Amino acid sequence: MKFLVNPSKFNEMADHLFRPLLILSIMLFALGLLFSFYLSPDDYQQGSTVRIMYVHVPSAWLALLTYAIMTLYSILALAFRIPFGFIFNTAVAPIGAVFTLICIISGSLWGKPMWGTWWVWDARLTSVAILFIIYLMIIFMNLSFENRVVREKVVAIFILVGSVNLPIVKFSVDWWNTLHQPATISKLSKPSIDPTMMTPLIIMTFAFILIGIAIAILRIKTEIISRKSYLS
Amino acid sequence: MKFLKKIIFFYYREYKLNLSGIQDILTNIIFFFVSIFIFIFSIGPDKETISFIGVGIIWTLLLLSSTLSLRKFYQEDFENGNLFIMHLNGFSFGFIAILKTFSHFLFVQVPFLLSIPIACILLNIANDKLFYLFASFSIGSLILSCLGSISSSMNLMNQRNFLLGSVVVMIFSVPVVIFSVGIINMEESFNSLINILFGILLIVFAINPWASGMCLKLSLENS
Amino acid sequence: MIIVKDLTVERLDKKIFENINLSLASGNITILKGKNGSGKTTFLKTILNLIAPSFGSIYWKGKLLRTNLYDFYNNVTYIADKTTSLTKLSVKDNINIWRKIFLSNINDSQIEVALKTLKLENYLNQKVTTLSLGETKKLELLRLIIENKKIWVLDEPLSSLDDDSIELIKQTFEDHCAKEGSIIFSSHQNPGIYVTEEIHL
Repeated sequence: MKFLVNPSKFNEMADHLFRPLLILSIMLFALGLLFSFYLSPDDYQQGSTVRIMYVHVPSAWLALLTYAIMTLYSILALAFRIPFGFIFNTAVAPIGAVFTLICIISGSLWGKPMWGTWWVWDARLTSVAILFIIYLMIIFMNLSFENRVVREKVVAIFILVGSVNLPIVKFSVDWWNTLHQPATISKLSKPSIDPTMMTPLIIMTFAFILIGIAIAILRIKTEIISRKSYLS
Repeated sequence: MKFLKKIIFFYYREYKLNLSGIQDILTNIIFFFVSIFIFIFSIGPDKETISFIGVGIIWTLLLLSSTLSLRKFYQEDFENGNLFIMHLNGFSFGFIAILKTFSHFLFVQVPFLLSIPIACILLNIANDKLFYLFASFSIGSLILSCLGSISSSMNLMNQRNFLLGSVVVMIFSVPVVIFSVGIINMEESFNSLINILFGILLIVFAINPWASGMCLKLSLENS
Repeated sequence: MIIVKDLTVERLDKKIFENINLSLASGNITILKGKNGSGKTTFLKTILNLIAPSFGSIYWKGKLLRTNLYDFYNNVTYIADKTTSLTKLSVKDNINIWRKIFLSNINDSQIEVALKTLKLENYLNQKVTTLSLGETKKLELLRLIIENKKIWVLDEPLSSLDDDSIELIKQTFEDHCAKEGSIIFSSHQNPGIYVTEEIHL
């Protein structure tokens, strides 16, 4: 597991992993889209619009997951002085931002036919919007500091402070009565979602994860190289 | 005893500094009132509407005008080296952050607190709501001071984009605004909401010395 | 009192200086010499524990500096190359604030004498912004007298001073050494001050 914290080992591993991951994720995307458009049933309430879920839910999960991993790496980098954490934070923030943006756009496309409006000010939507703004702030912070040492540590601290938003996003549907429906899939109880809908959702989730990892590998490698050239 | 004296004289120094720059603080308050005028002119002087959204306006503008003075928080002391002199005088960076936060509360937020009644008259807010507004703002402004300390210490070395600091404060003050406006509009749940505000205050107050102190040390190291 | 052993500092994996040794006993004056950008300020900041050294260690009174930091800080005056005086306030206010926050035990007559020797007594009620560069520097050096501590760490104390003032500084340094104080200062010119040790960075 050393390749998760060591840049040179990571580079070795990335060379092996990048191509298979990319191919696998494209295949999963093809399969998942096939399932979600043709092989899954319409919802009896929502009709065909339920298919937006197969993009909306995985991107929302990944937006949260990316931020959680960034928080973890910030702790590693600040507390245990592992510089790979800073590289990871710089490289991965735009990916998380894009996932959040996909989630917001697909959500409002879903909301228009179902709720009759593109946007409502309920707790889940607001907290996701704040998550998106936090991602943007991380990117802008990365761009606006001259001194690299200060920049990466300040960004890590900002990520840690901003991580208070994560539980709010996750539990907002349980804590407040909102328009957004509560989670249908949870670990502790039997999921309240039909297995025919579950299959494409799972496939799409894995496709999203794999494409996310592939892009992250590419960006982290670029970041490592640019740091080396900066030093010399 | 020596330490206590040092703290007292720290505030003496802050007092002298702020007294010499009193026009800055007063300009902040004038900004607050002028924005209220602008708000009223843009909505139209209908008494019902104004008193309905008055509390929200006051909170938004208090937030905006207190982020205006963020640049003064550490920047001057950082640039002329006084921050390090304070550290050499026996305060750890985290403790400097706490002292500075209270100083910001005393010299920037308390004048706003005093100008709230006048704003209430202008915005036609009922007298019995004034107490709730005071209670929520006195806690909320301490939270704002803590957030301001964190964001301005983060942006000490940021020469290009200082607006970032204001946005950091405004993002994290979203829950503060939600709960404090909630206090005023839902008086029956006053106790529970003020407890939540207190909770936020305690969390921010615990994070503040850690985050600000670390950022201050980092900026001083690399300046 | 201060012992520096094999000190090496790296910033961004670039060595700024390496293997510096120094022992500063009471009554010693050490000068740091070097070109612009050779790390004089970094060295002074490292001694003051602001920058963590990459290798090597610093001892204060036989213990590691980091373990009894505030005892060290109680004995040291640092003058940076910036002006720490508050430019909005008058000279008198600045002196009063310094006397208060450093809990100085210097009395009024001593301050007056110091002001007279530094030729600042006519500016007492002026704002610091109206002073010239050399005068602000002299006001800054007044902090040495006010703080009245044993170790002086000075970053470029002689820059922008005239010959008379440099002579005065020389005198002050010798007096301070006679009182078993010790001084470490950086300078890129050759001031002609008597020093016990030279460090070239």
